Amino acid sequence: MNTRLRLIGLVAVVSATIFWGCKKDSGGPGTGTDANKDFKVAMLTNYADNIIIPSYTDVQAKLDLLNTSVEAFITAPSVSTQASLKTSFENAYLSFEKISLPNFGPAASLLLNNYSNTFPAVKEKIEAGVLSGTPNFTQPVASDSIQGFPTLDYLLFSTDAVAKFSAGDAANRKQYVKDVMARLKLLVTNTLTQWNGTYRTAFINSTKTDVGSSIGYLINQFAYEMDVLKGPRIGWPYGKQSGGIVFADKCEAYYSGISTELAVANLTSLKNYYKGGTGSGIDDYLILLNKTQLNTDVLAQFDATLTALQAVPSPLSDAFVNNKTQVDAAYIEIQKLLTLLKTDVASATSVRINYQDSDGD
Amino acid sequence: MLDAITKKITTKVSKPVHIAPLVTFRVAFGAMMFISIIRFWSKGWITDLYVTPTFYFPFFGWDWVQPLGSTGMHFVFALMAITSLCIMLGSFYRIATILFFLAFTYVELIDITNYLNHYYFVSIVSFLLIFLPANKYYAVDCIIYPSSKRKFVPLWTIGAIRLQLAMVYFFAGLAKLNSDWMLNALPMKIWLPAKTHLPFVGQFMYEEWVAYFFSWFGAAYDLFIAFFLINKRTRPYAYIVVLGFHIATAIFFPAIGMFPFIMMVSSLIFFSSDLQGKIWEWVSNAKEDGKPALVYTYKPFVKKAIIILLFVHFTLQVIIPLRFIFYPGHLFWTEQGFRFSWRVMLMEKSGNTFFYVKEPSTGKVFEVNNVEYLTRLQEKMMSTQPDMMVYYAHYLAKKYAEKGITSPEVFAEGYVALNGRRSTSFIDTTVDLNKQKIGFQNYGWVLPFEK
Repeated sequence: MNTRLRLIGLVAVVSATIFWGCKKDSGGPGTGTDANKDFKVAMLTNYADNIIIPSYTDVQAKLDLLNTSVEAFITAPSVSTQASLKTSFENAYLSFEKISLPNFGPAASLLLNNYSNTFPAVKEKIEAGVLSGTPNFTQPVASDSIQGFPTLDYLLFSTDAVAKFSAGDAANRKQYVKDVMARLKLLVTNTLTQWNGTYRTAFINSTKTDVGSSIGYLINQFAYEMDVLKGPRIGWPYGKQSGGIVFADKCEAYYSGISTELAVANLTSLKNYYKGGTGSGIDDYLILLNKTQLNTDVLAQFDATLTALQAVPSPLSDAFVNNKTQVDAAYIEIQKLLTLLKTDVASATSVRINYQDSDGD
Repeated sequence: MLDAITKKITTKVSKPVHIAPLVTFRVAFGAMMFISIIRFWSKGWITDLYVTPTFYFPFFGWDWVQPLGSTGMHFVFALMAITSLCIMLGSFYRIATILFFLAFTYVELIDITNYLNHYYFVSIVSFLLIFLPANKYYAVDCIIYPSSKRKFVPLWTIGAIRLQLAMVYFFAGLAKLNSDWMLNALPMKIWLPAKTHLPFVGQFMYEEWVAYFFSWFGAAYDLFIAFFLINKRTRPYAYIVVLGFHIATAIFFPAIGMFPFIMMVSSLIFFSSDLQGKIWEWVSNAKEDGKPALVYTYKPFVKKAIIILLFVHFTLQVIIPLRFIFYPGHLFWTEQGFRFSWRVMLMEKSGNTFFYVKEPSTGKVFEVNNVEYLTRLQEKMMSTQPDMMVYYAHYLAKKYAEKGITSPEVFAEGYVALNGRRSTSFIDTTVDLNKQKIGFQNYGWVLPFEK
């Protein structure tokens, strides 16, 4: 009898505790100090204020400079104006790689990355748009990009670009370039405006790790960017998908020949995001989660991959044919880094690589 | 002696008791199903999971189950919504339970990707309900056919649901008795630090003892809760624990969706006929009409058939969760014998897999872009489950053959991380997965688990 009573008492106490705990749980946001929660907020604030927003601001500035160069080139198309245009173009494109990762929130809802950097651009469709003068830029890009950086790359730097801008029917072509420029600038500006507005607060206060949370977004985007680096940026044009047949013109920035530089910039930016720049980042979060060794290995793999990628000569399209050893070596390192980020880091942070909400058990 | 025992048991389980627990269960289950269907629909998952994919992973032997397109799938879900309401109200009960069971099970059989233990539970329960007289009181059917009204049912009709529920809990508890869960508090140690956003309790989420508390309490809860629910003295306290436990899981792990709520209302079945009968009568303010209350009786051959059916069913319910014993290797790693065993919220597992299609005659290798053929969810699920890889490999071989590749071979390179360990190679990269057969045999090409 006594044991029974004690048992009942125990059950009652335990359930009461849990019940009380739950009631507390559903009582809305807490106010108590919480070092670990503060860490997440501090980390996300660092991401927003020191990396993401400055990166968008930088792209905006670089696009302004590019716009000036574009105007100069259009006004007087020549090999020399094209050369200075190329510098501005490369600077703007390299800067854009730094906002490739935060493809969530404002960028995702405005389809910024989708419109601005889906490659390869489809030259037949672009030429058709130039001819008609009425291209439709608001159609989300599936695989037939007719705007953004890849389109500028084609229009401004394909072999006979200078000649085409000097030809009798160049007016349409000039207008097309202006429209693409204006749209690119507008999309970046709108994204930045949202970050400077309410989204920043939402971003830094989202401290969960489920689908749609800030940490969930970041980790998912690491995986996504690695997928893109392995596939569209290198593997596919290299012929990994096509039994070794090279499709050089599927490269990012094939015409201006800066694919290697862009890939390196993209990966460098990815590493910077991983580290949170000089502030708190996912690396510190892993250490907080007692995953110090994993973090060390990820950082080492970032470096190994960057070294291998930098060893690939530019332009990438030539390297595919003449420097297969280096490309293969870089590809293997990319694959290792992808596995670390997509599987080990995601698992350690209990983030589902999914991009899609569903129930689990 | 044996005869005497059998007779005693038979008499006990055939004892007429108030139908109320069955009615409560019917109403609660029907309502939960209706909410679940509406929720599923409103989240757009019908399209995401059953219309968008170009390829579906079939269950072994059920390859012929195919989705019906957008209109068809929405129709099936509409049918489920309507029949779940019918179950709740007890109207056209028999046909409603049959249709609901068929529709629900059909949907679950389309794609392994979407397998969830609680969907399996719903299929089983709706199957059992077909044979149980849950519509004989407080039901629309009793208004339509007043003569069908029965206030009492044999105890075993309620007992079947109780036993099913008890088995779910018990096997879920058994599954937790492994070294990762009990000795290392894994995966709780990984999952809990992600919950620091929770007010009050959030600050404790990095504490190791909290992970151990969750693990041990969870295991003890699953193993013993059914016994405390069956025992009359402990029942009310046990039910408070049920509520506490499932509310906690709903808050901590919102991704498990409707499951906690389904379990909370389902567990009401354990409350006695006497108590529930009184409550229903008080709620419905039923006046005794003076006629003697009738007991529901099955026709003898129907009863015999149902008893045999239940016997087979519950025997399978014991064998199926234990079938993993016959496979070599680490269960969580190979997942051979993992499904249909109430292994709920048990491990943190993720992986990534690269597929290569090879043309033997030319030596050409084609790396597969998984996103071209699978949804992200499918890719994720496939990357940790060997049988899904084989299905996918067969599909790829077919697709690449259509592209003109002669006698394609399919190889895969996979990496899997289990319970916070570092990822390691999952499968033998030299094995042509297109030549592997799906079945209950051991998949020797899954590499052994390295601790």
